[in-house]
Order: sequence, then structure tokens, then C-alpha cells
Amino acid sequence: MIRTVLLGGRAGLHMRAAARIAVAAAQQPVSVTVRTLDRPAVPADSVLSLLSLGALCGTELILEAYGPGAEVALTSLADLFATDLDVAGA
Amino acid sequence: MNTNVRPVLELRGVRVAAAARDRVAAIHRCADVLEELGAVQPGYREAMLDREWAMSTYLGEGVAIPHGLDVSRVLVRRDALAVLRFPDGVMWDGGRVTVCVAIAARGDGHIALLSALADILLDQERARALREATDPAAIVEMLNAVEDRP
Repeated sequence: MIRTVLLGGRAGLHMRAAARIAVAAAQQPVSVTVRTLDRPAVPADSVLSLLSLGALCGTELILEAYGPGAEVALTSLADLFATDLDVAGA
Repeated sequence: MNTNVRPVLELRGVRVAAAARDRVAAIHRCADVLEELGAVQPGYREAMLDREWAMSTYLGEGVAIPHGLDVSRVLVRRDALAVLRFPDGVMWDGGRVTVCVAIAARGDGHIALLSALADILLDQERARALREATDPAAIVEMLNAVEDRP
């Protein structure tokens, strides 16, 4: 199952955002990978791997997961990627 | 503002034999170098400490990336990097740090730097080479290398 989302963080996918997403990914019942149009898929639960994508605001991210719970996992992670996590309360 | 330009590491921004007894002292050493480079206002130092307490900047593989907060962007005069090597190590929240990559950034130009650094750290050999590098020129070359993206 594949879900595409545009990165919402105005400052790009920086360390704090990556850390928050990695924690959320680790809590999912399935493994989720992320790739961009020019970088191969990496595990979404690794801060280093997420940072290696070098994603800027508006970068297209392709999320992928399979098995029971994949749809819910993709939806919740896609929401996080689409959110500007630097905004208070986000 | 040159928000999309990746900050470049200058030779004078590298210290291969720094020493600090703890994480706070290490961040002060990082701030010292960023100030010497003329990259930040003095207040950026406090922002780096605040950022560190909000969440450890330990990245993995013995490397931490002290930097400021969103609100401290105004204290950045120009985007810049400093690399401080602590041969004796510094205990950090997350692990033992031997290399700090201190970042002063106003926009998102440093995202490309983070990507390049993450690539290095995900590769055991290159991560070790960065940790053990004692030649400032070699460190500059490693961090400024243009990513050869597929």
C-alpha cells in the first residue's frame, strides 16, 4: 500500500521533526518506508534515515507499508509529514 | 536571505583537539567557534543550550549537532558550520560524543547538510573516518562533499 504526501514543515525535515516522526513510526504495527523521487526507500522509524532524505518543504514523499494496520499507519504518518511540526500545538 | 544555500564548512571552523568535561561545556565551545566565525550573535549560545534541553541533539555514531531554535534564527548573521572534535569524548544524552557539528542556520539550507551528514553516519566506514579524522582539511572535504545522489 502506497501513500504520497508533500512535506508540510516550512523549515524542511529537520532533526526534531524527524525524531517525532521516527517515534510515531516505531509505534506502528507495521514497518513503514519513505522515499523521495530521487532517494531510495528508507525505514521511517530511523532518524538518520529520515534526515538522509534531505526533504524540503513541499518535497514529495512516498510512504509504503503492507499488512494488517498498514492503512492506519500510513494515514497517521502521512498526517505528521504533512503537518508543520514547528507550529505551536502541532 | 540565502535560505536554500547549504552552509559551507570553512577550515577555520574546525577544531580537532577540543576538550569539554560535559555536554554544557561542549556546547559553549561550539558557540565560541560560531562566534569567532562571525556567524552568530552572542545570544545564540543560550538558544543552543535551550534547544539541547528541549531534546538532545545526539544524532548517533558519536556525533551531535548542537544548534539553535526557530526563534533564534534572528541571531544568525550568516549560515555557517563548525566542527569540533573531542578526542576524549563527552557524555551526551544518547551516547558518547566525539564530534560536534554545530549549525547556525536561518533557513532550510542546512537540510542538505543534514542529509550529507546522515549519509556519512549510516555508512560505518565513513562514520569512523569522520570520528577519527585529525586533519582539518579532511573533515572539511568530507562535510562539504557534494552528494552524488542517484
